[in-house]
Amino acid sequence: MKHITTLFIGIALWVAVGCTNINSQHGPSVTELRPGERGFVAGLGIESQDLVTISEKMARGILGAEPISNAEGKPVVVLEPINNDTRFPIDKDIFLTRIRVALSKNAAGKISFVAREHMDKLEKERDLKISGQVTGGEKITGNKFKGADFILTGTFKAISSRGASGASDYVLYTFQLIDPDTSDIVWEDFHEIKKQGKDDVTYR
Amino acid sequence: MKIATSILLLCALLFAACQAPTIQRAPEFNGDLVAAGHRKIAQAPAHDKNRWRLITAIHALNLGQHDEARTLLTTAMPSAGQILQSDARTRLAQSLFSPENVKGFHGESHERAMGWFYRGMFYWMDGEPDNARACFRTAQLMDALAAQPKHRADWVLLDYLDGYITTKLGRGGGDALTRAQANAGTTALPDYNSKANVMVFLQFGFGPMKKTGGDVGEKIVYDGGHSQARAARITVGGRTLIAPAFDNLTFQASTRGNRAMDAILAKKAGIKKTGDLVGDIGVTAGAILASEPKTEGAGVALLGAGLAGKIIGGSTEPRADTRTWTNLPQHLSFAALQLPTGTHTAVIEFLDANGIALPDRQKNVSVTVQTGRDTVLFVSD
Repeated sequence: MKHITTLFIGIALWVAVGCTNINSQHGPSVTELRPGERGFVAGLGIESQDLVTISEKMARGILGAEPISNAEGKPVVVLEPINNDTRFPIDKDIFLTRIRVALSKNAAGKISFVAREHMDKLEKERDLKISGQVTGGEKITGNKFKGADFILTGTFKAISSRGASGASDYVLYTFQLIDPDTSDIVWEDFHEIKKQGKDDVTYR
Repeated sequence: MKIATSILLLCALLFAACQAPTIQRAPEFNGDLVAAGHRKIAQAPAHDKNRWRLITAIHALNLGQHDEARTLLTTAMPSAGQILQSDARTRLAQSLFSPENVKGFHGESHERAMGWFYRGMFYWMDGEPDNARACFRTAQLMDALAAQPKHRADWVLLDYLDGYITTKLGRGGGDALTRAQANAGTTALPDYNSKANVMVFLQFGFGPMKKTGGDVGEKIVYDGGHSQARAARITVGGRTLIAPAFDNLTFQASTRGNRAMDAILAKKAGIKKTGDLVGDIGVTAGAILASEPKTEGAGVALLGAGLAGKIIGGSTEPRADTRTWTNLPQHLSFAALQLPTGTHTAVIEFLDANGIALPDRQKNVSVTVQTGRDTVLFVSD
């Protein structure tokens, strides 16, 4: 009798655990995943888990790069949009934004970023201050917008193929830190991902 | 025993009557194609909504409602690289007793390519040419499964635009132009002008329509599209240029070749035809034998077997999915211009096969050229 009860409880636990598999398509209609996790709608494209892995890797690489780690004072980094040479349309800012926040979080004030993408608004605000329409103009003496010590940018390239046996995509993610005064690439790193898959037979 | 025979014959008649087509009422229409499209999207079953989204997107695009068209296309299409996975509907489409059109609509390769083509155009409109190029590359990849190697990834305009954007971004787009020219045949493609700042996407005519072929509708056959226009003449700022037709959608649709699904449908068709044949022979021979007292028993058995064959044959659904993105064009064309900043009026005429402007097709389009970004126009005949 004891064995039967144990067996019964064991089976009940096993069923309960099986039912809560969050990656199951037959599970709950909405499932919250960690961004680094591969979900059940994963495809061949650039996905959140790639973003997390790559941005963390690049942030670590940049922090350890000699021009950053040995810089005097806080080097100013400007983010330039990524050149997308793949077959996947992407939000080009999302990688650099993710790297920036990872660096800001981990660099403990070692790096300073400038918000060039908001330049129009910043210029407008500065002009309002200087003209006296808003307060704070007295603090502005000369141009205070910072120039870049380094430019962080990247290029994504891909090799894509599709045939009767499925589709395959190799994406090479490269990032560079460039000294704008010399055009030297002072740091560079890459990450590569290859994915392959096959559509259901009804769509092939 | 005669009663049993009568019941069996009545059943056979009933099954035949069950196959009468259902009558569908014409949709309500008040002149607003986009609103009518949204009604159709709302009314359509879940597995067919995307087709109506795509159709409505092109109505919106033709009416200049670009945000609406962009949203509908994005909603209707899977992301680039998404694997179209098996689900209950795709399994049903493969089952013996369901036609193919119960699966979610994603279109055939030429329709998928067109979806990415339009999305690429929108990215370019939004000032993201490299994302536009990504879409054109994905579109070209949709055609990579054509049966004949010479027809694989052979859209002229997609390669041409890939190379154009690459050239404009300061890199060499020559390889893509060479591929495009190789597929264009005798049509001479214009050279790239890296300083061009106005991109004109043109389309003419009515695209191909799917219909069923084969003995029992198990194949997709394309009714060719039609277009009187074969080229466009653009006059702006004192300059005139001819935009040739780059691609023919009927050609792209009909050179796809067999799909993997066709083998499944062929198997279903074989079962249906065998069932029908067994049914015809069984019912006829069984009825004759059953009418004679000496062979009545054998006749009824044969009649039963024939009826079973009829039931299987009648219930098997080998019909191919002929749902079509119905408002695609027959031809795609493109022209790039270099214009000074400001507002211009472009006169666009559509030319027939003899190069004569078609009457009542002329369009005057206002072009606003901005500094630092390309202006992208879409014009349909």
